[in-house]
Amino acid sequence: MAANIGILKRPVSTEGVWGWITTVDHKRIGILYGVSAFIFFLIGGIEALLMRVQLAQPDSTFVDAGTFNALFTMHGTTMVFMVVMPAGAAFFNFLVPLMIGARDVAFPRLNALSYWLFIFGAILMNFSFFKAAFPDVGWFGYAPLTTSEYTLSSSTDYWVLGLQIMGIGTTAAGFNFVITILNMRAPGMTLMRMPLFPWMTLIVSFLIIFAFPPLTIALTLLLFDRFFGTNFFDTAGAGADPLLWQHLFWIFGHPEVYILILPAMGIVSDVLPTFSRKPLFGYTTVVFAGAVIAFLGFGVWAHHMFTTGLGAWATAAFAGATMAIGVPTGVKVFNWLATMWGGSLQFKTPMLFALGFISMFMLGGLSGVMHAAVPVDTQQQDTYFIVAHFHYVLFGGSIFGLTAGIYYWFPKMTGRMLSERIGKLHFWVMFIGFNMTFMPMHILGVLGMPRRVYTYSVEQNWAGLNLFVSVGAFIIALSILLLIINIVRSARKGEAAGMNPWAAATLEWAIPSPPPHYNFAVIPTVRSQHPLWDEEANAVEPPPLPAHGEPHMPDPSYWPIVVAFGVTMVAGGLLIWQATTWVGLFVIAVSGFIGIRGIYGWVFEPVAEESAERVHAHH
Amino acid sequence: MRNNRPTGAGNTNTVTTPTAHPQNLAATLRRLLYFALAAVALVAVFASCDTPLTTFEPRSDATQRVHTIYIFVIVAASIVGFLVLAAMAYILWKYRERPGHTAQQTHGNTTLEITWTVIPILILVAIAIPTIVWIAGTTAEPDEDALHIEAVGHQWWFEFRYSGLGPDGEDLVTANELRVPVGRQVAITLEAKDVIHSFWVPQLVGKTDMVPGRTNILEKFTPTEIGTFYGQCAEFCGSAHALMRFRVHVDSHADFDRWVENMNADPVPPEAGSVEARGATVFTNFCARCHTIYGVSTEEIGPNLTLFGDRATLGAGILDSTDENLKAWVSNIRDIKPVLDTTNAMPTFYVGDPLVDQLTEAQVDQVVAYLKSLKLR
Repeated sequence: MAANIGILKRPVSTEGVWGWITTVDHKRIGILYGVSAFIFFLIGGIEALLMRVQLAQPDSTFVDAGTFNALFTMHGTTMVFMVVMPAGAAFFNFLVPLMIGARDVAFPRLNALSYWLFIFGAILMNFSFFKAAFPDVGWFGYAPLTTSEYTLSSSTDYWVLGLQIMGIGTTAAGFNFVITILNMRAPGMTLMRMPLFPWMTLIVSFLIIFAFPPLTIALTLLLFDRFFGTNFFDTAGAGADPLLWQHLFWIFGHPEVYILILPAMGIVSDVLPTFSRKPLFGYTTVVFAGAVIAFLGFGVWAHHMFTTGLGAWATAAFAGATMAIGVPTGVKVFNWLATMWGGSLQFKTPMLFALGFISMFMLGGLSGVMHAAVPVDTQQQDTYFIVAHFHYVLFGGSIFGLTAGIYYWFPKMTGRMLSERIGKLHFWVMFIGFNMTFMPMHILGVLGMPRRVYTYSVEQNWAGLNLFVSVGAFIIALSILLLIINIVRSARKGEAAGMNPWAAATLEWAIPSPPPHYNFAVIPTVRSQHPLWDEEANAVEPPPLPAHGEPHMPDPSYWPIVVAFGVTMVAGGLLIWQATTWVGLFVIAVSGFIGIRGIYGWVFEPVAEESAERVHAHH
Repeated sequence: MRNNRPTGAGNTNTVTTPTAHPQNLAATLRRLLYFALAAVALVAVFASCDTPLTTFEPRSDATQRVHTIYIFVIVAASIVGFLVLAAMAYILWKYRERPGHTAQQTHGNTTLEITWTVIPILILVAIAIPTIVWIAGTTAEPDEDALHIEAVGHQWWFEFRYSGLGPDGEDLVTANELRVPVGRQVAITLEAKDVIHSFWVPQLVGKTDMVPGRTNILEKFTPTEIGTFYGQCAEFCGSAHALMRFRVHVDSHADFDRWVENMNADPVPPEAGSVEARGATVFTNFCARCHTIYGVSTEEIGPNLTLFGDRATLGAGILDSTDENLKAWVSNIRDIKPVLDTTNAMPTFYVGDPLVDQLTEAQVDQVVAYLKSLKLR
């Protein structure tokens, strides 16, 4: 065993707060992601409600222009990077190893590092609220508005650095899951026997690996402009091109849309068969449609830029590519409908949310095709029609899909059922509130209401619809309250879930709820796409532990959070450096040392701390 | 190995919860339909109001062309959406869980799947063709007698420069209210002074961005109706983005020519000793540092104010041009618009505090009277 050269000995205990801080267990990391995402969902939701109060009437003075601009910037940034992505990550983490029959991800400590970088980056960005003000340049951060000439406060620096740090964690997670899914499937689980959710996770992980570098580059260039006076985007100097930012941002930003939606598609593709009591229709087609969407997703970014003067050829090409992506998307919808055709449909809460996903996401897809038609886009771009469109995709799609996932897998994660009665009420309140909020936005867009305006005047005659929309937003908030009530109720007196409460077909339902630390006492051998439907032995109870006892799992580690802290504080040092050079440099030097020392400690950390107790237990 | 795929009814492992009775489902669907109808009616009431930025009342050849495609696309998308939702509702009804009914274990059907791949392709091709034809049309050269204008976006107002129509064949410059003659093609190039803005007059022409360091070409358009049309900046451009609006006045040819002539004529100085004359002095001493009035001043930092008395609005189309509004604007722009204190921002002139005021209340009244007197002859 390697000599212990670390200052921090490898922890053994998984108890208490330190157990969570040092955990490398994919299930616990999944829960950390999920809880964090839910907290940020509440924050982003409150930001949305404040905006809706402001816009409920014309010439409102509830908040001022600067505050409103900060609200929509942080609402967008929060919902994309701190809610839907980590909520997806929560499901990847908790479920993918279970669904492919593995004991953990390929790199458990790297997995923990991804989480800590995400949460520290998110906290750093939100910390701007206390230091300066929330960022107010839009979640898309178009140059040159983001350069120091036009953004006087340091809030944009927090935005740049926060995103950058979250991006590092996300990219690491992308590699982790590609390697996990390609290498750690249970014997017999060929790729084409894998459930749809791990399939979509694999595709999303590839998307992350290829989409985040352009964002990293764009943020680095902007960082250099703001901190060191370079001239990539600042048009006051020669040679800068603000459209360079838009290209880099959307080369990231459009695949990002699929990073947000494909996990929900995976969830729905696994929920539908369970509650239709029959297999997914056209499994191969659904898998490949996902892959085609992801591939085409890299060739459509400039449809965010149809009005920037790209020229006729580029505009026509991107319009064609954008329409093409509608085909695999449509195919998925038809395959989902065909999955239900001939089934015996059980309208349990997860199924209701999955159905909400299919119908609402399809409407979002159809409005998307509308602005792929460039002439139509010249009227719709940057109006509320676009706001309506992408909320149908990201709320009607992603959030409904993820909520289906919450209701579907909550019993597996906690061992307790959620209330069907409250769940169904939650669905209907959310479904009605959602449509009240976002359906009229289509009309507002047609009537010319631009996005990102903190106010409008009486003569515009948008007041009635806006009031209606604002009421809808509060109904959505009410539905979220129902979810919280349901979770609290379940924690207090939820019925025991048992192994497989939905009589589902996939491997995660073949082990106890919640799953033991080591997941599978014996790694299962897979012989079909639906092991629990096709093999009676697996459907009843998990096989007993082998004679040598519990499988040996990786021990917890301090190093992931130490490295994440070092990296984040280097960014913090940069922010301090702007105010007080020497203090900033000192913080950068110390944090850099902590980060590098952390990596060193990580590399040479022994597999387990040597102790008499453990040696006795395992040898 | 025995196939024990559970059916809905014979599923012993499921936690017992009340299953949806068909009657309940039907009632729910019916309630949902009523709700949707009520919502549509409500929306129709709201939408029937007069909304000056509407994209659905084209008043130029360009927006008429877009409108035709817009309607086609809406109809196509609505039909597809309706059919799919109807199919879904049918499936949910027909295959709901009920006693004596078990799920058919189908896995796929290649013919079906090819069919529903090909149908979307055909629909999308039908949408792509008019799109591409339209894009090709935008590259056409402007008409020979087109009116050439350069529009420049500033934080947060619009500058309009008519090529060759000004004094000595220079540009004729105005701000925030564009005047064009009816029935003549308008060819506008777009630029920006600071950040990215976007030029959009929904009834006359779709939007194109104004990008600093670039010259973009707006789609050519020929207004078909005399009247005043609303424009708005459509790209987020900082704190006062919401208040960056403008107007386009489509005039008769005679009115337009008269306006151009008046813009070029030296203004008649106000009668000596009048309120307007004292206002002119205030203008020269303060406002002229940034604003041009042809024949009076030449600085172009702020909007050109020639013939200001004829404008319908002030502050980039956000307020009616009344005496009270103008007085408030001159006194303290910060009460009205969230401007940043950059070098190009208009100063605060009067807040009633002698220590910070640059003008007296009376001087504000005088300069307002002067500006309102700058009218067409």
